[in-house]
Amino acid sequence: MWRAQQLRKKFGGIVAIDNIDLAVKRQELHCIIGPNGAGKSTLFSLLCGIYRPDDGRIFFEEKEITAAPAFRRVQQGLGMTFQTNRAYHDLSIRQNLEVPMKISRTRESGGAAERFRYALDLFQIDGQNDGIARELPHHKLQWLEILMVLAAGPEVLLLDEPTAGMSPEETMQTARVLQHLNGMGLTIVVVEHDIAFVREVAQAVTVLHQGRVFAQGTIDEITAHDDVRRIYLGRA
Amino acid sequence: MTASHTMRGFIGLINGSADIGRSRLFWSFAAVVLAGFLLVPAWMSEFGAYNIAYYLLNIPLALGLCLLWGYCGVLSFGQVAYFGIAGYLYGVTAGNLVASSLGPLIGSVGGLAGAALIGLIFGYFVFFARVQNWIVPILTLVFTLLLETFLGQTAGYQWRVGNVQLGGYNGMTAIPSFQIGGFVFVGYAFYYYALAVVLVCYLACRLLVNSHRGKVMLAIREDPLRTELLGYDIRAHQLLIFVLSTVLAGVSGLLYVQWGNYITPSQVGLLQAALPVIWVAVGGRQSLLAVMVSTYLLNWLSYALSTTGNQYAPVIMGVLLVAVMVFFPNGIIVTLSNLLSPRRRAGSAAMAKK
Repeated sequence: MWRAQQLRKKFGGIVAIDNIDLAVKRQELHCIIGPNGAGKSTLFSLLCGIYRPDDGRIFFEEKEITAAPAFRRVQQGLGMTFQTNRAYHDLSIRQNLEVPMKISRTRESGGAAERFRYALDLFQIDGQNDGIARELPHHKLQWLEILMVLAAGPEVLLLDEPTAGMSPEETMQTARVLQHLNGMGLTIVVVEHDIAFVREVAQAVTVLHQGRVFAQGTIDEITAHDDVRRIYLGRA
Repeated sequence: MTASHTMRGFIGLINGSADIGRSRLFWSFAAVVLAGFLLVPAWMSEFGAYNIAYYLLNIPLALGLCLLWGYCGVLSFGQVAYFGIAGYLYGVTAGNLVASSLGPLIGSVGGLAGAALIGLIFGYFVFFARVQNWIVPILTLVFTLLLETFLGQTAGYQWRVGNVQLGGYNGMTAIPSFQIGGFVFVGYAFYYYALAVVLVCYLACRLLVNSHRGKVMLAIREDPLRTELLGYDIRAHQLLIFVLSTVLAGVSGLLYVQWGNYITPSQVGLLQAALPVIWVAVGGRQSLLAVMVSTYLLNWLSYALSTTGNQYAPVIMGVLLVAVMVFFPNGIIVTLSNLLSPRRRAGSAAMAKK
């Protein structure tokens, strides 16, 4: 449902993204991994419209969105969280969740509303809480941002290191909820460092290395891949 | 049932969490203050009422800046430009239509429309080009200084529109008072008219900030990129609030020329451009109520200082701004209100760190 063709992005003389092809299928839980500087975050920014590619095209549900601004992509059903937490730390939890509510694809598509309620329940966040968001513990802030995005009712969720800074239990809880949301019909793309998390959730994995797609396959194929182990997993 | 329902919804929206002053005690106090203002003619001369109208008439402009800066995170140094545009347009239009009793009304609408149109064009280039936030104050200041320079060189007979002379640095004089049909708003009538306009502007702004759009404004102030990636066209939101703030500045400009029947280019000059920022910052830029109160009090203060022959009114204002920025970064009135109210307000902590 989501396709990138021959994406290229240069910053000055550095080619951050070099001819990347990526296809995400409907209802897939797709992980993008790679060592630091592999171009993960740049790819991420290209997919959600923060950057424009120098070359290449992006399709969403068979419609070309290469030139669409970020907010349009969101209105068409894309949702994303950032690598560093960007919930509104100084607004109340209620306000955090009210802001995306009105855009409200949630009302049109029943599935999205159900997913939001499910996640609200499992992440144990009270949507009516008037307390300031920054007073939440770190992992709950991460969850709050995911909830904000779900409140806007996306069909595809794009997460940039959603479990950064979480304890192993919190990471596994996040993994479980994401898997369940995926089962409820949400397509999820995760850029992740935490290989335990990737092992737990991923159905398809794309490995990036130096701005190129290095390997693609199922999690078993990827972990069995000798070269991937060498560059990324750090084991011979 | 529906009428009372709508009324209750309206009250709920007015009393939403986006401004301070929501308790019963506050509203009782506000009612007493309002009664005091309504009774001004009973215990004050027309001259006194005119002075009070003068302290009031800058409030819409300050509210507009409060929306833009405090709620939306965009500082403008050039709100007085739209004050001047509306004032001059009113002067030209009403001055040419003195024969018609509708002249002032047409002039008012035209003045506001002109301010809005120029605000729309200016704002379009600023926000749709995604000019960075800290550049915006410079651009707005340059705009108002250009306007001052332009108006300053309009001395002489060739600079006239119809029967009205722009007048260069001497300004435009003999601008007609406001009138509807045969009724001319002078004396106490002008005072009540100004009071009503200010109240309507405040309540409208308060409704706005408590609406969903108001919540989105706060979200844009907190994190523009995050808000855009929740599906909002932040450029359009910022532009709309900017245009609204230019209209509010225009309202003040209209009240000013209808009050004094003259306007000079110094009204859009550097000193005047700095004052609204001081009014808003001193009260507390994330509260409309605080801005309304501080604008009134500071206008009273500078008027009192200047009428006693004190040359230092601008210096005192500047010192006040610096002192407030250092000791009360949230503004004096907002800080006091937070001390008094047991519940901490979300959003006020936000401004402290910025």
